[in-house]
Amino acid sequence: MASEFEKVVVLGANGAMGAGSGEVFAAAGIPTVFLARTLDKAEKGRARAIKLAKAESLASFISVGTYDDDLEREVDGADLVFEAVAEDLALKRVYFERVDKARKPGSIVATVSSGLSIAAMCADRSDDFKRSFLGIHFFNPPNVIVGCELIPHAGTDPAVTERVRALLDGPLGREVVETADTPAFAGNRVGFKVLNEVAQLAVEHGVHYMDQLIGPHTGRAMAPLTTIDFVGWDVHKAIVDNLYANTDDEAHETFALPPYMQSLIDAGHLGAKTPEAGGFFRKGDLVLDPRRGEYRPLSEVATEPPPLVVKMKALHRVGRYREAMAAFAEATGPDAALMRRVVLGYISYGLCRVGEVVKEARDVDRIMGFGFNWAPPSVLVDVVGARVVVELLEAAKLRVPPVVVTAAERNQKLFDEPDVDIGRFFFA
Amino acid sequence: MTPPPVYILGGYQTDFARNWTKEGKHIAAMLREAVKGGLQATGLEPGEVEVGHVGNFAAELYAMQGHLGAFLVDCDPAFAGLPTGRHEAACASGSIALLAASAEIEAGRYGLAMVVGVEQMKTVKPSVGGDYLGTAAWYEREAKGVEFPFPKLFGKLGDEYDRRYGLKDEHLAHISAVNYANAKRNPKAQTRTWYMSEPHACAASSYNAVIGGRIKVTDCSQVTDGAVSLFLASEEVARAYAERRGLTLDAVPRLLGWGHATAPIAFDDKVAESEGKPYVLPHTRRAITDAFGRAGLADVWQVDGIETHDCFTTSEYMAIDHFGLTAPGESWKAIEEGVIDFGGKLPINPSGGLIGAGHPVGATGVRQLLDAYKQVTGTAGDYQVDGARRFATLNIGGSGTTSCAFVAGF
Repeated sequence: MASEFEKVVVLGANGAMGAGSGEVFAAAGIPTVFLARTLDKAEKGRARAIKLAKAESLASFISVGTYDDDLEREVDGADLVFEAVAEDLALKRVYFERVDKARKPGSIVATVSSGLSIAAMCADRSDDFKRSFLGIHFFNPPNVIVGCELIPHAGTDPAVTERVRALLDGPLGREVVETADTPAFAGNRVGFKVLNEVAQLAVEHGVHYMDQLIGPHTGRAMAPLTTIDFVGWDVHKAIVDNLYANTDDEAHETFALPPYMQSLIDAGHLGAKTPEAGGFFRKGDLVLDPRRGEYRPLSEVATEPPPLVVKMKALHRVGRYREAMAAFAEATGPDAALMRRVVLGYISYGLCRVGEVVKEARDVDRIMGFGFNWAPPSVLVDVVGARVVVELLEAAKLRVPPVVVTAAERNQKLFDEPDVDIGRFFFA
Repeated sequence: MTPPPVYILGGYQTDFARNWTKEGKHIAAMLREAVKGGLQATGLEPGEVEVGHVGNFAAELYAMQGHLGAFLVDCDPAFAGLPTGRHEAACASGSIALLAASAEIEAGRYGLAMVVGVEQMKTVKPSVGGDYLGTAAWYEREAKGVEFPFPKLFGKLGDEYDRRYGLKDEHLAHISAVNYANAKRNPKAQTRTWYMSEPHACAASSYNAVIGGRIKVTDCSQVTDGAVSLFLASEEVARAYAERRGLTLDAVPRLLGWGHATAPIAFDDKVAESEGKPYVLPHTRRAITDAFGRAGLADVWQVDGIETHDCFTTSEYMAIDHFGLTAPGESWKAIEEGVIDFGGKLPINPSGGLIGAGHPVGATGVRQLLDAYKQVTGTAGDYQVDGARRFATLNIGGSGTTSCAFVAGF
């Protein structure tokens, strides 16, 4: 496939994001160099990329090498250097210093960081490096999830941003959302606000109940606490700690990592990647009791799903999404109030990032839909009805995003992606 | 006597990448989304619809649900009492529903017909689905106890081409690669994010296993969940519809021609019947020429593109010469010359076809005609064939058994 990018070098190509991102470049027919500490690790990255593509022939676009033997030589000839080493600012800076010395002027350098400061990463680099540096945040696994954030910092040459955008939404087939260089960018900021809030609420309401209440019927492929287990508690902690330390907005307290999670992380509980220790769930149908830090059999803690959940699922099952969300809006009682608190909080927080993190509501919608596989906030507003959402937000004392007010006043729909079936976000 | 014209007002396709079982959905949800989406896309009011036709192959097997026409009534209160029915002819079910709806409009029974093709296939594991699909062949003779019978039957179609004219697998690989590449431009295509290359399609490997005979994974269409709606109208309804939009009637595309023929159901009987004749599947050829004849077209070069039934690469290989792009047995020439490519002289499957866009069996015929509608109205987005005014479709049920062809446009 024709592209002005004739060579990409991936640093950290042995990791999930490095190999997955490398697959995306190679699958577009761009010769891609997979670099890692050892040749064996780089080879494993290549094998992983081939497995993702399900095609041995992808190997013809991938060569391998090591940092010690090949980095300077390979970077010298690269049009794009893509950094995917561990999410550690100091470590990334070490690699960028080497890249800065070896790269040809005008080549582009990008980081796959999921939320560290782009400006801080390149602060000590040459002027040409700074102009050519930005964030390209793919979501895992990149070959499947097409949503992607493009994050220039204040010093990025706009022409560089446009060249990378053209690569991403052209040959790489990405759905690109440009965000400001703010902590965790757009998707993780909005998404982890919800995830961590549910983790906080699990202390009072229990793990099983919270995942049942804020389950796929509320517009997500996977329930929140199950998602944190899937992502990894260490990754979750890194993201919410960064947000708690470096943001100060209406949702600040929802970014505070619950103390029980810190204790369990210290004891080696990282979710699905530590199956014996577990996370919210542990193999053998065990569920965490956050108050005691103990695991109990699901059969002991499982309760019947709340009637509102049953009703919403039954309506989603036959495609009656509006009626399901009308039930969500109208139901009374504590289950409904708690479900609305979290879901309305998501709508409010997501759409209130317009102007700060992204330019327009569409950007939040695209990254939550294409990156998280969650119902975009605007889809929820449209399905519930903008006027009703304004009333519910006011009643819940949540910030009412200006775009929702405008939609309510003009009786307009907010979601503007005609090729997207909104039904795909509502699970039964 | 020339029958009254049938107009196409548009419709809606669900995203073929979706897995409705994973979403926890009943087939009723698929019908509902296709209907609601079609009404929204066309701007038609539910109360205007006079009759509903559903094309579906095997919901009784895949979804334990028959009587699908009745589910249309559930889609909107205004559909109360709507006359409905369901049509089945294996993978041509959608086209049979279209033929029934268009015949009713020609006969003057109804002015506005809603046709919905639907299939939910990801409810069962592939081997079970393969067995269900075997009922589109002569099950007891050709499919019972056979793992994935259809790839083997269409492998035999390739073998028959090889025997009569010679066939190179690299030409089949090109067909696969073109369909996958086209699908990347189609936001509703199932494989739009999948990796594909011609070298990968060319060689059997652990990721491109041989399924039967010369058919590898990359030669196959997909197992797909999907529903598609399309609205057909009489001249009177189409004129009022156009006026409401500030258009004239001649801005609304028509169903210019149709063809419909049925061959013996068993594949070996088809081959025996056509022995010594130029076309391997003469009834399929007849369906095409009948459609062209009714549309007043001298040959295939009077259409601007084709949406054909590439359930396997061999069926598209067959379609190339049966449509008349080449002499019989010379489909490879059109492949080598790039005629069928997206930017070629006569693009085939700009949508990605059944291989790239996906193949929800009962929906495919309707999807093809919706794509033809999009092409001739300039609304196909990134997969638009420049300046298309006329498109042909070919939809096949079984191993070349039921063939339906349409020409749509101006």
